[in-house]
Amino acid sequence: MAILRLRDIDKDFSGLQVLSGVSMEIQEGERHAVIGPNGAGKSTLFNVITGLYKPSRGEITFLDRDITKSSIHKIARMGLSRSFQIINIFPKMTVFENIRIAVVSRFNRRFNWTSFLHRDRKILEESDRILSLIGMTDVRDVPAWEMSYGMQRQLELALTLARDPILILLDEPTAGLNAEETRNSVPLIKKVTEGKTLVIVEHDMEVVFNLADRITVLNYGEVLATGTPDEIRGSEEVKKAYLGRK
Amino acid sequence: MDIYAMQAIHGLVYGMLLFLVSSGLTLVFGMMGVLNLAHAAFYMLGAYFAYTITTHLGNFWLSLVLAPLIVGILGVGIEHFTLRKVHKSGHVAELLLTFGLFYVIGEVVRIIWGSNPLRVPVPALLAGQIPLLGKTYPIYRIFILGFSFLILIGMALLILRSRIGIIIRAAVSDADMVDVLGTNVPRVFMGVFGGGAALAALAGVIAAPFLSTYPGMGLDILLDCFVVIVVGGFGSLFGAFATSLMLGQLQSFGILWIPRLALVFQFLLMAVVLIVRPTGLFGEKQ
Amino acid sequence: MNPLRALKIAGGGTASLFLLLLPFLLPLIDIHLATEILIFALFAVSFNLLLGYCGLLPFGHAACFGVGAYATALIFKHITGMPFLLTIMISALAGFAGALIIGFFCVRLSGGYFALISLAFQMFFYAVALKWRAVTSGDDGMSISRPDLYLPGLGSVSLMNIETLYYVTLAIVALAIVACYLFLKTPLGNAGISMRENVNRASFLGFNVFLTRLAIFCFSGFLAGISGALFVVHQEFVATSVMDVHMSFTVMLMATIGGTAHFLGPVLGAVFFIVFQDWISSLTKHWWLFMGIVFVLVVLYAEGGLIGLFKWEKISAWFASEKES
Repeated sequence: MAILRLRDIDKDFSGLQVLSGVSMEIQEGERHAVIGPNGAGKSTLFNVITGLYKPSRGEITFLDRDITKSSIHKIARMGLSRSFQIINIFPKMTVFENIRIAVVSRFNRRFNWTSFLHRDRKILEESDRILSLIGMTDVRDVPAWEMSYGMQRQLELALTLARDPILILLDEPTAGLNAEETRNSVPLIKKVTEGKTLVIVEHDMEVVFNLADRITVLNYGEVLATGTPDEIRGSEEVKKAYLGRK
Repeated sequence: MDIYAMQAIHGLVYGMLLFLVSSGLTLVFGMMGVLNLAHAAFYMLGAYFAYTITTHLGNFWLSLVLAPLIVGILGVGIEHFTLRKVHKSGHVAELLLTFGLFYVIGEVVRIIWGSNPLRVPVPALLAGQIPLLGKTYPIYRIFILGFSFLILIGMALLILRSRIGIIIRAAVSDADMVDVLGTNVPRVFMGVFGGGAALAALAGVIAAPFLSTYPGMGLDILLDCFVVIVVGGFGSLFGAFATSLMLGQLQSFGILWIPRLALVFQFLLMAVVLIVRPTGLFGEKQ
Repeated sequence: MNPLRALKIAGGGTASLFLLLLPFLLPLIDIHLATEILIFALFAVSFNLLLGYCGLLPFGHAACFGVGAYATALIFKHITGMPFLLTIMISALAGFAGALIIGFFCVRLSGGYFALISLAFQMFFYAVALKWRAVTSGDDGMSISRPDLYLPGLGSVSLMNIETLYYVTLAIVALAIVACYLFLKTPLGNAGISMRENVNRASFLGFNVFLTRLAIFCFSGFLAGISGALFVVHQEFVATSVMDVHMSFTVMLMATIGGTAHFLGPVLGAVFFIVFQDWISSLTKHWWLFMGIVFVLVVLYAEGGLIGLFKWEKISAWFASEKES
C-alpha cells in the first residue's frame, strides 16, 4: 500500500524551477533512497513534502489524505517526521530535554498547563526509552550544544524518531561524519526505523546500497529513474547524468 | 477641487519627508538585520541642531550642512562602539540597545532644549507664499518637495549607478558573500549606518520649520516609519517610497475627513498587511 | 543536602520573613515603596515570561498593564459594591483579552517585528485612552478611592491603611508569581521555552507555534493586568501614563537590568529600579537619563543583568570543592 504519493510536483522560486513533474510512490515499510547530484532538488523535495513550501503545482497525499497545502505542524502530527541536513536541535537544552519536548508533542500534551512536566511518568519513561534506543543514556544531562558533532547527529536522529512516526524522512543523516561514523550509523538507522517506512536522501553510495529497497534518482529537479539498487546501478541514463561516488 | 489638490500636496510633502527618514531605516534593516530605533533620534537631533544653529548663528543653510555632518559622525561612532559589540548577542540585544539609545538621546534632548516645542524660523529666502492653483501656497513647502526629490534622485543614482551602490545592494542581499569577496563589510556597514543617520538628520533639518521641533517628534516619526516599513516591506526601498507617499496622503486626507479615526485607519492597514502579507507589500520573503 | 540548595532555602526563608514583617521594620514611606516594588515585580515577571522564556521582546507591554488599570478604575468608579478580589480578577481577564487581540497580530512574527507591532498597539491603546475622554478622562485622569476588602471570618478590612494594602498586595503578587513559576514547569511552559531555542524544529515536531505563543502571551497579559489593577489601587489614581512609552520602557528596564536569564531577575530589577529612582530623583530631576544610561551599559557590558553578577555556577563549584576538602 502506498502511504505517500507525489503527483506531478512542480516547485519554482521566482522563476527558478527547482522541481518539475516529480511523481513518486512510497510503499508501506519500504526503505527508499533519493539520490542525485548537488542542486538536484532533494532537500527542496523534503521541504515541499513536510509543508515548509507549498508546491507550485501537483498534489501530495499521505495515508490517503491530501497534505499539499497543510501546515508543517499538522503534517508532523499525522505521523510524518523529518531530520535535517544541518543539525536542527535545541542547543541550550539537555539531550534529555530535547527528546522530552518531542515526546510531549507525541502524547498531545502540548497545551497542558495543569501538570508538571518533570513529574509526568509517562513522558519521562518514554523519553528515557528513546534515549537508550539511540544509545545516548550516558549523555542524558549534557547540554546539546556541548556535544561532539557525531553525538549531535545522533540526537538529530532521536528527535526525528521521538514522535514514533509512520513515515521518516532523513535528510543526509551522515553529512559531516567521517567514514567510521558513517559506517556505524547504518545499523543504527536500520534498527531504529524497523517497522517504519523510510525515505532517505544520501550522497554516500555505500550507505544507499546498504540500506535501500528502492532508489529514485533526481536530476535538475526531475525524476530520472526509479527502481531497485541493481536496476539503478545498471542504468545507462543514470551513469551518464551522474557519476556516482563509491 | 482645490482643497483636495492642496491636501494632496500637503500629503506629498509629508510623504517625501517620511521617505527620507524611513529609507535609512529600511536599508539598515535589510543590510544588517538591525531595526535601528535610534534612527528616529537622529531625525530629532537634526531638527534640534537646526534650531540651535539657526537661532545662534543666524543661518539656516549652515544647519543643512552641519547637522547631518555631526549626526552622521555620531551615527558612525554609535555603530562602531556599541552596535558592533552587541551584534553577536543576537537580535534581542540589538533591539534593546537601539531602543535604549533612542530613549537616552531623547532624554538628553529634553535636558538641553527643554520640553516645550521650539520654533525654527523659515529662512528669509524661502519665506512667503506663491500662487498655486488659485490659492497661495507656502514657498517653503515647495522647497521641501523639491529638495527631497533632489535627494531622492541623488540616492537613486548612488545606489543604482555607483560602485558603492552596487556594494550596498549586494550587501543587502547577502552580506556574507560580499565579505567573502573581499569587501570590507564592517566599513560598508559603518558607512551605511552613518549615511542613514545623516540623511535622517537632514530630513529633521528641513522638517523643523514645517513640523516644529518638540521632544515627542522622534517617537511620532518612528511610529510612522514603522508603518511604512511593515506595509512597504522590510528592506525594500521602493516599498518605503510607495508607502511613505501613500501614508502622507492617508494622513492628509484622513485629518480632513475622519480626524478622530485617522490613527485607527493606519493601524487597521498595518494589521491587515500583517495578516495577509507579513513581509510587506514589496518585501522579500524571509 | 546540597549546600547550594541549603543556601537557596535559607535565602528564601529569610526573604519571606522580611517581607512578612516589613511593615513593622520600615517607616511608612518605605511601605509605600515596598508595595510599589511588589506591583512592578509582578509586572516585570510577566514581561520576562515573554522575553527571557519565550525569546519575544514586547516593546509595548504597558498595553495590558494599562488595560488592567483602567478596568479596575472604571469598576471602582461606576460599580459600587463589587468585591475587591473580583475586581482584580476582572482586570486580569481584561489584560488577558487585550493580549489576545494584540497577540493575534504580533505573535505571528518575532524579533524586531514583534517588538514594534506590540509598541504600535500600545500606542493605539494609549491614543484611545487619551481621546475617549468621556470614559477615561484622557490625560486628566480619574481619582478613585480604595474600597474595603471583605474577608470571610475577618469581616471588612479597609484598604486605606497602607499596612493592610501592603499585605493584600503581597498575597496577590506572591500567588501570581508562584503561579508563573509553576506554569514554566508545565508542558505548555516548556513548549514556549523550546520555541525560544528553535522555533523551526518545534514546528516540525508538531507544535502549533502561533497558538502556543498566543496562549503564553495571554497569560502574560493576565499577570500584567493584575499588576495594573494593583497599581491603580495603590496610586488611587489612573491616567494615560499607565500605558505610555515610559511605562513600557520602565518594565523593560527592570527586567533587563535585573537579568532575563533567571526567574527572579526581574524581581531584583524592580527592587533596583524603584530604590534607585527614589534616591536619584531627590538629587536631580533628570533621573530618567541615568536609568537610560544604566540600561544601555547593562545591555553592552552585563548581559546577565544584576542577577548575572551572582555567578551561581562559581558559587556552586566552590561549594562542591569545599565539600570535598
